[in-house]
Amino acid sequence: MGRSVQDSALSGVSRRTVLKAGAAAAAFATVGAPSILRAQTPAVKIGILQPVTGALAHDGDLGRLGAEMAINEINAAGGLKALGGAKIEMVFGDARSTPEAGTQEVERMQAEGVCAIVGGFASPICLAASQAAARYDLPYLVDVGVSDQIMARGLTNTFRFSPGFGKVTQVALDNLTKINELAGKPAKTVVLVHEDGLFGSGLAKLLQAELPKRGFEILETIAHPTPARDMSNVALRIRSLNPDLVIPSNYYGEFVLLARTMQQQRIKPKGVYAVLGGAASNGRFVKEFPQAAQNVIDCNHWHDPKNPQAQALRKAVEAQGKSFAYNVPLNYSNVLLLADAIERAGSADRKKIIEALNGSTFEGHIMPYGPTKFVNGQNEGATPINTQIQGEDIKVIFPEYFAEAKANFPAT
Amino acid sequence: MTARDLIPIAVLAVLAALLPLVVTSSPVMNFLVFTLIVALGAQGWNILGGFGGQFSFGHAAFFGTGAYVTAILQLRYGVNAWAGLLLAMAAGAAVAWTIGFLSFRSGLRGSYFALVTLAFAEVFRILANATAFTGGAAGLLIKLDVHPANLQFADRAVFYWLVLAFVTGVLLLTRWIQRSRFGAQLVAVRENEDAAKALGVDSLKVKLRAIALSGAVTALSGCLYAQYFLYIDAHIAYGSWISVELLLAPIIGGVGTVFGPVVGALTLHGLGELAKQFAGRIPGIDLIVFGGVLVLAVAFARGGILGLLERLRDRGRGMMTRGAKEVSHAGR
Repeated sequence: MGRSVQDSALSGVSRRTVLKAGAAAAAFATVGAPSILRAQTPAVKIGILQPVTGALAHDGDLGRLGAEMAINEINAAGGLKALGGAKIEMVFGDARSTPEAGTQEVERMQAEGVCAIVGGFASPICLAASQAAARYDLPYLVDVGVSDQIMARGLTNTFRFSPGFGKVTQVALDNLTKINELAGKPAKTVVLVHEDGLFGSGLAKLLQAELPKRGFEILETIAHPTPARDMSNVALRIRSLNPDLVIPSNYYGEFVLLARTMQQQRIKPKGVYAVLGGAASNGRFVKEFPQAAQNVIDCNHWHDPKNPQAQALRKAVEAQGKSFAYNVPLNYSNVLLLADAIERAGSADRKKIIEALNGSTFEGHIMPYGPTKFVNGQNEGATPINTQIQGEDIKVIFPEYFAEAKANFPAT
Repeated sequence: MTARDLIPIAVLAVLAALLPLVVTSSPVMNFLVFTLIVALGAQGWNILGGFGGQFSFGHAAFFGTGAYVTAILQLRYGVNAWAGLLLAMAAGAAVAWTIGFLSFRSGLRGSYFALVTLAFAEVFRILANATAFTGGAAGLLIKLDVHPANLQFADRAVFYWLVLAFVTGVLLLTRWIQRSRFGAQLVAVRENEDAAKALGVDSLKVKLRAIALSGAVTALSGCLYAQYFLYIDAHIAYGSWISVELLLAPIIGGVGTVFGPVVGALTLHGLGELAKQFAGRIPGIDLIVFGGVLVLAVAFARGGILGLLERLRDRGRGMMTRGAKEVSHAGR
């Protein structure tokens, strides 16, 4: 229980509920009403699983928003055409930031007759929930969960549209080397700061093995627990080591704390290069602590900035007063991908949806992945890209094809 | 033990066993399995905390040991899951005995004992998180291979019956403890350890037996958790959440009673689940109910729900006897 009652954002509940009710009412007025006039086609139910209470509530909230926006858009455009304009109905489940709660919600969704599930966010939730769904051959689309274990189990119902851990770190290292080379190799020494859980330790281990091969010297590896309430000692250690590069891998709160402490103590390395950084590509961080956030580079999930649909989505999210992070485009794209599979399957039959996903070459998403191609459930084209916080914006800096701005590295 | 001791347990077990024949909904079955796993662990806590009066804040140490031992034996050594279950219980008992030996021998009582158990659980969590043998932070994933020999069943009802059988077994065990010489010594230690010693009770031995039993039962629940969800990491297995769950259930249900942990776990999780059904749109509503029930139980039902029921029954009887007297007076 202790892990799920942290920041349930009670104050936000009523506001969120009101907003949601408003959005639902608006959707009904514009979309729902005409459909009543037409012949009634039964709605297709899809499950959206996100942790909207507990430690991961902020991420879960954004994930739900992305999925909801995609569903509203599909319904507004006339629903699923292959199914006679059937509307998509969202069955939402709160995974409460724990795997058991995720499993329980999958059971409920199964009882409510969903034809597929999208979401999970954290790897442990994705692992447990996709396994529970596998019992019913229920297609499960992992939205974020990066653990390589998720796809290594041979579950035929589980698909991951986004890149896994191995792929992300590989690309992150390649891109770091290239960015450094393009700038004339200013960075030679590195300090790693990581949280001691699944994601931070795994990453640190990999970086410790790979960075020296690419000509970087690791001065020290500093581990800290999640949640951590104070980063002064970590910052002081960084100051005394004076590295060219700090590579943090931690979650939102700790990342923000580290960046702020470094700013307070005027520690300015040539670059802060996050890999799957908790806050480094989160609009909230930029908005709340613009100075601490300046020039932080991240290698993470990010939408294709040149895609007009993505730009419109970002505007729509920001117009709602919400911060934009990768959870939104990922869940948005996953729902579109699923809708495409249902269209091509021509029915809400689970086996047919799984077949359609396996043969999917979907291009209508907003991520920089190209057409989808699933091999053993993993989308082969999925890749992270590099962003940097510049001014009040998060800009893509690498690879050049997607870049909106030049990398400010070494940071000035 | 007399027939009167056993009848309530038998009735409850039979009624609960018939449930899957009526309820076929898998969310309900899934909920019941998880709640019974918590209840089983809470029964383990109750042996030491309820009967022995040694409040542990770190039963996660035993829960996690059960979960990790069964997972590691299967994954790394190919040991059969059923054999793994027995070995996990043995490991839980051994870990519990060791922690007990170290802390009871130094005379730690009350809040000091609680703090030491908490510390042990945290040390286990950090070790499990850091060492490669336990899968490190990535945790351990038991392969999904549905076969009775692997302790994985296609039908949830079978797993439910299995957990129910263990819960019933521990109900019988607790009833036996309550009626046995060992139980009397344990209660004596709880009520006044010095007085018990003066009467010739070897308090260290009694407490060690209790903590070993408690550890074995809680390890069993951890093993069943791992076997049911098939994934554990340091935070799930050794996290403080499970320590809190395991001590809340008996406190709500009735500390030191046979049925207390089961009643407590069912009430807490049942109310939470109902709240979610009726107010599912408000995230976290079940946790609010959780907190509310705890506050009410602590404020108004000192002996837990069972204690409250007993008091109500006594009051009811008192009123009935008073009523009967009045009737007989009137008759005169």
